Amino acid sequence: MEDIQNSAPGSVPAGKLGARKGADPSQNAAKRLQTELMQLMTSPAPGVSAFPSGDGNLLAWNATIEGPADTPYSGLTFKLSFEFPSNYPYAPPTVLYKTPIYHPNVDFSGRICLDILKDKWTPAYNIQSVLLSLQSLLGEPNNASPLNGEAAELWDKDPALFKGKVMDRHKDIGDD
Amino acid sequence: MESDRDYSADLAAQEAAAREYQPQLEGPLVGERTPSHAITEAYAKADPVYVQKTLALPQTYSHYRPVQGDGNCGWRAIGFGYFEALVQTGNAQLVGAERDRLIQFPILDHSEMVYEDMRDEVAFLMNDIQAAMPDQEAAMDVLVQKFNDLDVANHILYYLRLLTSSFLKGDPNATEYLGFIPEDIGVVGFCQNYLELPGREIEHVGILLLYNVLLKPCAMVIEIAYLDRSPGPEVNTYRIPSEAEGRDPSSLGPVIYLLFRPDHYDILYPHPPPSAAHDIQVHRVSALSHEHQIASNIQNNFQAFGDGAVDMTALTLIPGVSGLGMGMPPLAAPAPSSIESYSPSPQSPWMPSPFADAIPIRQPQPQLKQEQPAPSRRAMSVVSQTVGSRTPPLRFSEYCHPQVAENYTSHEPCFTTSTFKNSHFNTAHYNNPNFQPEEYRPEQDESNYEVVRPTGKRRSH
Repeated sequence: MEDIQNSAPGSVPAGKLGARKGADPSQNAAKRLQTELMQLMTSPAPGVSAFPSGDGNLLAWNATIEGPADTPYSGLTFKLSFEFPSNYPYAPPTVLYKTPIYHPNVDFSGRICLDILKDKWTPAYNIQSVLLSLQSLLGEPNNASPLNGEAAELWDKDPALFKGKVMDRHKDIGDD
Repeated sequence: MESDRDYSADLAAQEAAAREYQPQLEGPLVGERTPSHAITEAYAKADPVYVQKTLALPQTYSHYRPVQGDGNCGWRAIGFGYFEALVQTGNAQLVGAERDRLIQFPILDHSEMVYEDMRDEVAFLMNDIQAAMPDQEAAMDVLVQKFNDLDVANHILYYLRLLTSSFLKGDPNATEYLGFIPEDIGVVGFCQNYLELPGREIEHVGILLLYNVLLKPCAMVIEIAYLDRSPGPEVNTYRIPSEAEGRDPSSLGPVIYLLFRPDHYDILYPHPPPSAAHDIQVHRVSALSHEHQIASNIQNNFQAFGDGAVDMTALTLIPGVSGLGMGMPPLAAPAPSSIESYSPSPQSPWMPSPFADAIPIRQPQPQLKQEQPAPSRRAMSVVSQTVGSRTPPLRFSEYCHPQVAENYTSHEPCFTTSTFKNSHFNTAHYNNPNFQPEEYRPEQDESNYEVVRPTGKRRSH
């Protein structure tokens, strides 16, 4: 399932190097994720939602983000996948956009460049705060470290063309 | 344009591989109490300064407890030391009081959802210790078992991080730490990017804070022995708080002894105080006979090493061999005549040693080796200025044996070319199946710095 569209030819998929995913869900991770699920249900945040993907595996979740008003993404809905490491919350989840999205900090495989999902992760973050961060990233991309250089350039230079590319790229996907 | 894109994809792949690289960690999170001679043996082939210091180590510290170096080792070592010291007091009431103090400590800036599991785990640990308490051995079993359960240990250690960051945020006198905190990130940023970042090593200010929040209320003291390449026959020790410096341990509260090697902490155990002289005799005797064996091992190694041409006076540098023990002053450097007779054979850099694994990535830029003139005292001071730029795999110290370090590098075949460095045969390349990123080694930089000092003289203390 590894999408190699953006990898260099012949390179090793990064996920195969030292990945610690897919081990037995530890009791830490399971307990914490149950607490988060409860919190998401009792006090949902507007515009974002998340739920375990339903195959009995608490380490895989699906989530949605609604594009904020006054951004090129207004009115669009994006699906994402969360994959939690067995030592969650001491390591970040792997988050991918499943819905194709044209954004300076997301590549064409849906991989996201956001520091709190990498080296700035702390257990103080949770699914909801990650989703809210991603939602605000839609309106305030970090154009200094783009994964999609063209998008970063167009964001300032040609908002109309940017919006057109967003609409071209977007397509609703069904539930898998 | 096309090649530009390939280049950036390469960079991205390299970056991703480095980011996701997890070193293979071996051994338990917190190991068994181990005779400290094991450290001496591990360093038997290392830099002479390390050999000397690790040979002296067992005279002060009889045992050590290895702690896994996963970026939490400082937290793990101090945390374990704290609970162990509580067990050693034999005071179950104190354990209960400490439990209440820790779990009632106000955790700032976080919702309870974040820390409730961690706090619970600390409470469970202390309940279990308290319950086992009349039997100290059973209580220690509980502690060792809990600290080796990754789930439990993660929670406990992270709670220590939160105690520390909350203490800093809530401390009206926090200004005394501000000198250690990068100005651009401030206290909140420091908590987020240092104290609360899982796997981030503890730093000096972290140790001070952890001491203040965890140990000071129980009058506990930290003593850190620094095993580094600073000159001297023994490890240097420092105590926190500094008021405890120079005082007899019996006049202090419980002392947590730590062994610091650059980037890593283990736990040390000193010999019991000389209350029963007879016991001590027994310890000393066994210690000496053991050292003798190590010394002869070293001798063998040296023999294999230099075709028997090595000057064995180096052995006299080792305290303990002569039976004099600690407190022996460092001996003068070997006479120049012995330097000239030294002729190292081209040693394979793949020789197994604690440092061998780092060889392929440590090699600095390729450079042509020129035949050095026969080493003499005069040439040495000149050449030693360039030693830092080609680190020998065994890291001989410039302090003890500059001539060894120098000869060594001048004879060592240079395997690293830029073609090799940029190929997938280099383990630092992301396409290498045994990928291991190059790591920044501050201690190396420091030693380089020492060597290139403009005077070109060796330090003489």
